[in-house]
Amino acid sequence: MRLPFLSMFITSPFDGIQEHAEKVKECSWAFQQAMECHVSQRCKAFEEFRDEVDTLESQADAIKRRIRGHLPKGTMMPVDKFQLFRYLREQDQVLDSMEDVLDWLSYRQEPGIRKELEKDFLLLVDAVVNPIEEMTEMVTEARKYFKNFSEKQRNLVKDIIRELRRCEHEADKLEDNIKQKVFNMEINPVTVFHTIRLAEFIGSIADHVENAGDMMRAMLSK
Amino acid sequence: MAWNIGANDVANSMASAVGAKAITIRQAVFIAGILNVCGAVFIGSHVTNTIRKGIVSTEILADPHLALIGALSALLAAALWVSFATWKSLPVSTTHSIVGAMIGFGIMAGGFSVINWGKLAAVVTSWVISPVFSLIISFLMFKVIVRLVLSKKDRFIMALKSSPFFIGLAFFVVILSFLFKTPLGKKLSVSTPEALIIALFSAVLLGFSGKMLLKLFIKGDMPNGTEEIFRRIQIGTSCYVALAQGANDVANAIGPLAVIYFLVKTGSVGAKVPVPFFLLLFGGVGIACGISMAGYRVMDTIGKRITTLTNTRGFCVDFAAATTVLIASKMGLPVSTTHAAVGGVMGVGIARGIEAVNFSIVFKIMLYWVLTVPAAAITSMIIFKILQLII
Repeated sequence: MRLPFLSMFITSPFDGIQEHAEKVKECSWAFQQAMECHVSQRCKAFEEFRDEVDTLESQADAIKRRIRGHLPKGTMMPVDKFQLFRYLREQDQVLDSMEDVLDWLSYRQEPGIRKELEKDFLLLVDAVVNPIEEMTEMVTEARKYFKNFSEKQRNLVKDIIRELRRCEHEADKLEDNIKQKVFNMEINPVTVFHTIRLAEFIGSIADHVENAGDMMRAMLSK
Repeated sequence: MAWNIGANDVANSMASAVGAKAITIRQAVFIAGILNVCGAVFIGSHVTNTIRKGIVSTEILADPHLALIGALSALLAAALWVSFATWKSLPVSTTHSIVGAMIGFGIMAGGFSVINWGKLAAVVTSWVISPVFSLIISFLMFKVIVRLVLSKKDRFIMALKSSPFFIGLAFFVVILSFLFKTPLGKKLSVSTPEALIIALFSAVLLGFSGKMLLKLFIKGDMPNGTEEIFRRIQIGTSCYVALAQGANDVANAIGPLAVIYFLVKTGSVGAKVPVPFFLLLFGGVGIACGISMAGYRVMDTIGKRITTLTNTRGFCVDFAAATTVLIASKMGLPVSTTHAAVGGVMGVGIARGIEAVNFSIVFKIMLYWVLTVPAAAITSMIIFKILQLII
């Protein structure tokens, strides 16, 4: 039975966004393990973790497509449809850039990361993985805001967004630090290029997390 | 016909309650059944009168033979059309079908001149006005709830504090509609200011006793106290919708039947014969049967499909729909509960209260409004011709 009243209700895209955010979080753990594995050099499971990131990425992609494909024209939501899409895009790019990092690493596995840079890279990875968890938290809290429209809840979400911005700044500093060190080492130019790009790729993860936060801020505006 | 109404339209009254998980399916079926009967019996007679003699002028009904065939064909056409629509899953309104069928018979029996165009225009206007009215009510209601309750720091306390207001408001409209122009109200014979005072007083009283009950049932440390309070209130409002629905929709089934009944009994259709009590009861029971037999399946679908509706939103939708329908039945206008409910959901949607609502469906519903009336009219004409040949 198809009732006109029923067809007014469609699955909330926020369900999908949250599901997607959970996938990003799961993926960030696999990414972190892959990176640690690569740095430690004794670990042989790098490819396994990379595969895991790949699978999670394609699952998240399916969620993204589902959200985009199921918002008919004339859908009324607490936020603008295209704001929602742009937010989703940023959140998805967090995943894509994690995948990019691992791909980049796989092109040139052999010399690995130099001993003196190991600590810096692990710090950088931590600095980009932490805000991802915050981002998932932000989605949950934002949904609560769209339910009760309380000022307190809104400030809570805004605080998380501020925190994301701060994390990005931290990651930027770590990235700069690595680049400076690499350029001042007397090493093979190919290694320099590979390491510099690696740092940039990892740094871009935090950039996208920050962008997602900014998009969320736009959705919160009254 | 009544069965069809029960099976189809019960969704509208109970959808938001079931969707928001305020009541279980079994409870919904039970409540809707009983209250539809009450609404039909106590408040329902007005709309029945409109359908019985408002749209088609009474002169044509003076010929008992013609009127008998006409009423029969109208009833059959509407029932046929609604059954067909249900089978084909088309979103049609029972209200519109019966109005269309009556028009069809009127045109066949006496040409275009017998149709009371003024009255018909009023009825058609009410179809446009009712969703808009419902939209405005639910929009305002939701804004009030956000302003008074949801955005506050201690939402639970605020919800409890303001609960007498919401409960009282719902009761106020119900009591008023009971007092005005119903058989019950006539017996008590209260004047307008008196009725207002009585309604206001009892609404305040019931509002506060409702708060007491809420306090008794709900402990403050519940994780989602606010929604919990509105969940209880919503049980009340969905009863309110069922009542309003009974009042309005019983006419769809009983209108033409009432005509037949009088023809058989008195041989003519007087302009001022009241609709007998037992016919209304019969209609109400018919609706209740429809609810109990087919309602379960409908509710089940609803419960699974509507996941974005929370109790506060559901309350707004219920309240707006019921108020609209009740006011319309007071004015003797047959409006569709579906449209009132759709208007209510739109109101909350415009107030940005629901995570996702598909508005484009409104245009689809409009298309069926336009289609239903002529389709039912033509069916009615054909049946009229056939019956004329037979009888």
